Amino acid sequence: MTERKTILKLFAIALIAVAIAFSGCAQQEKPKATPTPAEKETPKATPKEVKAIVIGVTDKVTDLDPSNAYDFFTWEVMNNMMGGLMRYKPGTTELEPYLAESYEVQDGGKVYIFKLRKDLKFADGTPLTAQDVVRSIKRVMEINGDPAWLVTDFVENVEAIDDYTVKFTLKKPISYFLALTATPPYFPVHPNYKPNEIDSDQTAGGVGPYKITKWVRDQELILEANPYFFGEKPKTEKIIVRFYSDATTLRLAVEKGDIDIAWRTLTPVDLASLKQNPNLNVLEVPGAYIRYLVLNTVMEPTNEKLVRQAIAAAVDRKDISERVFMGTVEPLYSLIPKGMWSHKPVFADKYGDGNIELAKSLLKQAGYDENNKLKLELWWTPTHYGDTEKDLAQVLKEQFEATGVIEVELKSAEWSTYVDYLRKGAMMVSLLGWYPDYIDPDDYTTPFLRSGSNKWTGSGYSNPQMDEVLDKASVATDEAERTQYYEQAQDILAEDSPIVPLIQGKLFVVAKKDIGGITLDPTMIFRYYLLYWKS
Amino acid sequence: MSSLKAYIITRALLVLPTVIILLTLVFFILRILPGDPIAAMVGQKVPPEVLEKMREEAGLNKPILVQYISYLYDIFRGDFGRSMIWGKRPVINEIADRFPATLELTIFAFTISVLLGILTGSIAAFRRGSKLDASMRVYSIVAYTLFIPWFGMLLQMLFGVYMHIFPIGGRIAPGMEPERITGLYVLDSILTFNGEALSSALLHLFLPSLTLGVVLSGAYTRIVRNNLIEVLHQDFITAYRARGIRRSRIAYHAMKNAFIPVITLMGLQFAILLAGAVLTETTFSWPGMGTFLLERIQYRDYTSVQGAIVFYALFVAVISLIVDIIYALLDPRIRY
Repeated sequence: MTERKTILKLFAIALIAVAIAFSGCAQQEKPKATPTPAEKETPKATPKEVKAIVIGVTDKVTDLDPSNAYDFFTWEVMNNMMGGLMRYKPGTTELEPYLAESYEVQDGGKVYIFKLRKDLKFADGTPLTAQDVVRSIKRVMEINGDPAWLVTDFVENVEAIDDYTVKFTLKKPISYFLALTATPPYFPVHPNYKPNEIDSDQTAGGVGPYKITKWVRDQELILEANPYFFGEKPKTEKIIVRFYSDATTLRLAVEKGDIDIAWRTLTPVDLASLKQNPNLNVLEVPGAYIRYLVLNTVMEPTNEKLVRQAIAAAVDRKDISERVFMGTVEPLYSLIPKGMWSHKPVFADKYGDGNIELAKSLLKQAGYDENNKLKLELWWTPTHYGDTEKDLAQVLKEQFEATGVIEVELKSAEWSTYVDYLRKGAMMVSLLGWYPDYIDPDDYTTPFLRSGSNKWTGSGYSNPQMDEVLDKASVATDEAERTQYYEQAQDILAEDSPIVPLIQGKLFVVAKKDIGGITLDPTMIFRYYLLYWKS
Repeated sequence: MSSLKAYIITRALLVLPTVIILLTLVFFILRILPGDPIAAMVGQKVPPEVLEKMREEAGLNKPILVQYISYLYDIFRGDFGRSMIWGKRPVINEIADRFPATLELTIFAFTISVLLGILTGSIAAFRRGSKLDASMRVYSIVAYTLFIPWFGMLLQMLFGVYMHIFPIGGRIAPGMEPERITGLYVLDSILTFNGEALSSALLHLFLPSLTLGVVLSGAYTRIVRNNLIEVLHQDFITAYRARGIRRSRIAYHAMKNAFIPVITLMGLQFAILLAGAVLTETTFSWPGMGTFLLERIQYRDYTSVQGAIVFYALFVAVISLIVDIIYALLDPRIRY
């Protein structure tokens, strides 16, 4: 019995120790304000303390230097703490001057002159002039980081005419140059950024509604209103972004109330379940994110146009949307997404959706039948596009095999191997996705369809007629004229089918019911400065 | 020189070839796999000629042996290089950011697993053959076979979503990080007398360390039980009993003798803990080395993966050395 007593004593001591350790911890935690680093004198009185809004994401901020950051979420954060000469009007895909007051296009679209606002200041009160814009752009060119090509491929020279005038001379006229100036590599940065070196942990930022007051890599990012911001003050003084490693934890965090908004990216299953939660709102808007199949035009048997057309006809996008994504995506019938000017649903017009009969007949013309089946290898990658990817591959296999004439072998490789195979053109049919760099039809056509520019897709596709149309569209300045070219390009795309569009992503935000100001549009940039507490 | 000192020096010297062999394996295996960090990061976006230039700048176009020798040279100068993706930050900074999180989780999980294991194992041994013994043995098997993400999620649902007691992810509440001294939040909050940070850090630590601790305690239960039973049947225990020595005193001596194999297991488990932390870290969004390694392997971030492995190897070598020393101190029969 004594041993038992000893054990019981030990156990009781352990329990008491645990109880003491946690006794002080049981109160509900609240986000605590972080002391802001010493600042220069702020011009405006601090507004009354409003509760911070906490946003949870499964993304990460990879690099706080716009000369090297090249991922969607980091760009979103940059859009809240920096800004470009132009920006997209919130809720639209319409460009408007931002740091610039006005602009002028000269020399047939080869020269752009921007007049800056005169009230621009960085978050510590340092004034921003044309020299800062030039310094920042030249810095991007010099560092030559991941997104630098968005500048170096187009800009010949940039110079300051005076303190408030910046002149860009382009290598050739570019019709979508204004859209490029709304991307982070064109954002002017604070002089604290190291001149010719990537400065990944720099929090000085640029000119935007918020400034970073705290950043703990992969844990949290705290943004507070920039007191020197020239525009309307953010509706919420403080935004906290918390980083989660997977969708399940993010979902649990919003259910528990650890976060006020669950942003990118929840799974379709989580979204369906959260829609039933009476305390939360699930908002959706169309996104500019697309998924598609790449067909190898130089590898047998997909080198034959009839085969590619049959594949395009057999795909049933509505079925994919319902079965794989539970209605969280929209069917897509062109590479240019729905909602963008010049979009034309060419694949729906030419092939319909899940048109098995047409697919069979095209395959018959190509010499395939039940006894001589078309053998396809369909590649997919397990982690990069989330948990639904395996299902997507499986559903496509079923759809193709429903023709009775196609036999599909599924193959997978993890992302870095996948990209390697892709660039080598080693895959017959592969699943891919695309987030835009700039919101313009050019970004949805040239990288996929123009010879050389599309090498990364591994399709090996080349059509001089397509190249000519795309080149004309990239230099034309009139939107109506450009629309015609892009419509032509989409017609050729449907005919040649080197790429078969599948779906267009929708954006979902899950938020507490008393949060207002959630404004999303196809640019997919979440503007934190518009968020507010209704109560 | 005492034999223990000589032993420590020999062991320390043996770490070097171990690390070199490991590093060489990792270096070549990573490069044999298709794909490279530049392609994985921007392969889908940048024009081909730009990609080629980026590869060249990163030194990936050089012959593999040249890359290997230059990497070894840098490592011996204490330079772990820079990450090849995203911010291209120095690898040592990445490790310094991530390792304290894993170490903190590991220490707490380790403590829980040892305490739970000893408690359940002793109960089982002292009450051998009883229902209590049977239930502890079942506990041992169940704990050992628990799947970390499933068990973690269960605890998150129970204590987080339904009971609202513990947070379900992260290391600390937003904005509460204590001033960084060691990077271990619990220790830093104590050193800076930051009570709020301490309670928040402990609350956040509870579920992940309990998950990992319970899973690893199963092995201890079994080993403690078996050893204790064996010791309790030895002559010296019978002699103690015959002399009427207090039972608690007998229990102490029995435990001390049964503890030597447990120490060995502790050394081994510490390495396993670091591996188990990968799953726990993912489940609880714990920003440690596990999630870091997983992510960097996916992107073929050669330098980060190599750096992290070398660091891990050194760490495990040091831990196992410490375990061996404790082993000698506990058992006077052991001589080096």
